[in-house]
Amino acid sequence: MMNNEKQKYVMLDLGGTPATPWCSFKQVMKRTFKGELFVGLWVTLREMFKTLFLGGKHTTKYPLEKLPISPRYRAIHDMLRLLESGHYRCIGCGLCEKICISNCIAMETRYDENQRKEVSEYTINFGRCIFCGYCAEVCPELAIVHGARYENASEQRAGFSLFEDMLTPIDKLHLQKEYEGFGAPSVDADAKIKKTPLAY
Amino acid sequence: MDALLIGTVIKIVLVLAIVAALAGFGTYLERKVLAFMQRRLGPTHVGPFGLLQIVADGIKLFTKEDFIPQNANKFIFMMAPVVTAATAFIALSAVPLFPTFTIPDAIPFIGGAIVPSVIADINVAILFVLGMMGAGLYGPLLAGMAQANKWGIIGAARTAVQFLSYEVVTGLSILAPIMLVGSLSLIDFNNAQTGGIGSWIVWQQPVAFVLFLIAGFAETNRTPFDLLEHEAEVVSGYATEYSGLRWGMFFIGEYANMITIALLASIIFFGGFTPLGFIPGWLAILLKVTFFFFLMLWVRASWPHIRPDQLMWFCWKVLMPIAVINIIITGIVIMI
Amino acid sequence: MFEQIAFYLFSVLTAGLFLVTVLSRNVLYAMSSLAAGMVLISGFFFLLGADFLGVVQLVVYVGAVMALYAFGMMFFDATRDIKENNTSSKVVFLLSGGIAVLLVVIFAAPILGNSIEATYPPQEGLTNPESIGLVLFTKYLVPFEVAALMLLVAMVGGMILAGKKMDQSLTVTDEEMNIPQKDGDK
Repeated sequence: MMNNEKQKYVMLDLGGTPATPWCSFKQVMKRTFKGELFVGLWVTLREMFKTLFLGGKHTTKYPLEKLPISPRYRAIHDMLRLLESGHYRCIGCGLCEKICISNCIAMETRYDENQRKEVSEYTINFGRCIFCGYCAEVCPELAIVHGARYENASEQRAGFSLFEDMLTPIDKLHLQKEYEGFGAPSVDADAKIKKTPLAY
Repeated sequence: MDALLIGTVIKIVLVLAIVAALAGFGTYLERKVLAFMQRRLGPTHVGPFGLLQIVADGIKLFTKEDFIPQNANKFIFMMAPVVTAATAFIALSAVPLFPTFTIPDAIPFIGGAIVPSVIADINVAILFVLGMMGAGLYGPLLAGMAQANKWGIIGAARTAVQFLSYEVVTGLSILAPIMLVGSLSLIDFNNAQTGGIGSWIVWQQPVAFVLFLIAGFAETNRTPFDLLEHEAEVVSGYATEYSGLRWGMFFIGEYANMITIALLASIIFFGGFTPLGFIPGWLAILLKVTFFFFLMLWVRASWPHIRPDQLMWFCWKVLMPIAVINIIITGIVIMI
Repeated sequence: MFEQIAFYLFSVLTAGLFLVTVLSRNVLYAMSSLAAGMVLISGFFFLLGADFLGVVQLVVYVGAVMALYAFGMMFFDATRDIKENNTSSKVVFLLSGGIAVLLVVIFAAPILGNSIEATYPPQEGLTNPESIGLVLFTKYLVPFEVAALMLLVAMVGGMILAGKKMDQSLTVTDEEMNIPQKDGDK
């Protein structure tokens, strides 16, 4: 519905600058008695009425309420698990560490008893991280992804996050969502689309 | 004599305390009304409905550093906010606030005393109020010139130009009602409009009322004409270097002036404190003053402000001729 | 009692403030003390029961004249002291002192001779503005109108001096002025 709705763009005909004193006098009279100022007063009064009685407030009480963020938003990283076994997805390939342009990912790996790569150390320094998203883009296993935690103000410049902290808790495995990733449209993308003036 | 003196002192203290408190409450109202008109909430967190925000702001202003810039003229810099607040309150002293009332007999010592609700009933009250509000221009003017800041100088220059010009319009616009009533006393004005809504002077002098309202907005430095401290142009104008309590005094003066203009408008043009049907007089004037106060906030939310050259153009080429023509027409009508 | 206290308070303050005006080297001090002195002079009028004149003093001198002075002061650096350039302090002292003594004599002589009398005593039952209006528009009608005419001439002269370039707009450029108007009234 919204997509096909035409936007109400109107070109204002302001006229030219008045050339003669008589023209400017007429312009002043016209603008004075047109009541445009009262339209402005009416608009604010209407909005006040709406805000007070019809719940038209646009304020989000931020720490108490939060707006939904887009899946494309790049915030603090999450480490995902395999849904069936619950084992972490990371295979220790080290690509994220290599591609990281701000050198904030540090990882150490070793072979475990099954001769599989195991992550022994994995930290991200969020004081350095610029949230470019290359690590999530390069990850072949969709193991490191960007999550939704965007409140990362801290008292120190360096802030390290450990592998275990970023990993989905094992008891919340059923809540783990598959990462929609880069280019994924936001949930309410359809509603947000507007036609530009060029559309008509 | 003594009773009069004590009564006057009590009234002075009451008016000072109540109007200063109302100025604080005015900031709360302004923030709330502006917020609702802009679909926001305004102060909500401190106290019920954010009411204690006034107290929080007061504490903040009191405890802030009283900063005086290095090259400023210290004495004048410190005096200027006092001038603003003082002239605003002195102007209020000649304005009748409520109808004359009698203290009930139940109260000991002073029971039965008749109290006129005006501090000083001088017979040229209107001129006195206008003159005192005109003297109020020294607050911003001296503040701007004393602070060794270019924005302050610009603010001071704008003060002088704006206040001087619009004083003319205020005076000329009130002249027509004065000719109708034949007195300069605000109480006489009130008594001339006792015959219900139909006898309000605004019906006889609508042009004068509009002119007075516009000039009143300019003299109280309210939004369409807030060139003195318009932050988008001159940082904060004359108040650029002020902080803490001295800045707060400018604010209190501005809000007291708003209340004075609202009182003047409701007494001169809208029947003042005469009872309105079933509404008693004190409530009637309270409602009128509240409406004019709200109107100032409403206009601030709705209208953009104008350029300095437009301000001068508006004053001298539009308002003043209209005011003079209005006076001439009134004179001719009275003569006939 | 109160009148006397107020009178002496006002006189001391007025004299002190005007002294500051004369003696101070700082433009701001001089200007603000002059303005404050003007306010206090209106206090004398109120004390004498001449409310109207007091208010006129307030409106004209404090509200208008002094504000114009202040506007002139904007062109100086008001926070700095001025260097005064007195050629001869003796001459200045003699002249100003002589004028002051002369003024005192002029005003004190009739009081000493007990020959002070109001030529047009205020009528009973009239308020301040009414009695002033009565005198102005009967006895002093001609000087009043002449003064009005002079003010009119001064106003027109001021407008001509200030308004030589009034028909040139500061905001509208020449190209905009040359745009032909659409049906003449936009």
